Amino acid sequence: MSDEFRISSELAEEMVQHCIEGRPNEACGMLGIKDGTVVKIFRMTNALRSPVRYRLDSTEQLAVHNTLYSEGWDWAAFHSHTHTEAYPSPTDIREKRDDVPYVIVSLATDPPEIRAFRIEKEDWAGDEGVVQEIPVTILP
Amino acid sequence: MPVAVRIPTVFRKFTSGESQVQVDPGTIGDLIGQLDNRYPGFKRQVLTDDGSLHRFVNVYVNDEDIRYIERLDTRATEGDTVSLLPSVAGGSDRLDDRGH
Repeated sequence: MSDEFRISSELAEEMVQHCIEGRPNEACGMLGIKDGTVVKIFRMTNALRSPVRYRLDSTEQLAVHNTLYSEGWDWAAFHSHTHTEAYPSPTDIREKRDDVPYVIVSLATDPPEIRAFRIEKEDWAGDEGVVQEIPVTILP
Repeated sequence: MPVAVRIPTVFRKFTSGESQVQVDPGTIGDLIGQLDNRYPGFKRQVLTDDGSLHRFVNVYVNDEDIRYIERLDTRATEGDTVSLLPSVAGGSDRLDDRGH
């Protein structure tokens, strides 16, 4: 996808709602994207059930990938930070493995903040990465 | 009939850009060996130095994550689809916003 990130206010609200319902733990999921615009929120299970860490449930992840494959959609990952800002933490950078946008929803502010990033790594398995913000446009 | 292996974007630089490749049936360990013979360096992307699956790579035979079955000894038979996916993980690691 091009480096812009568009989401309707309705789907943004659905993503935020999933994050709120996941509290006190971090919530996570995937976003189906067509032509740079989010078309579907995949609410998924945080396999780590933790307030400070997340990992997409691997079985759900495959099922969503199969849907993305059959629909021909791009995707992004999203997760919440329950008490910190919507910016990749050192853990987010270290654990970043796939070359897709990472969206973070911060529940530390009211209303919650949504920001999107690319995390570029020279070595996909390495710990170091460079964060680049992708502008988020919320469509009416 | 061979086994189809779906290759995620992050590994395609090792498979000449191929998103799906065909291999002979066998255990997942055998399949990774076949892929490494064809695409030198592939194994190092998927396995640790001690030969176990990297914690941030998921491997599935059809719909089953091999971690919940026989790991690298899980067999893929004729007509099966093997999918590789990098794990998606991270987290704030903190419950307060001090330090930023």
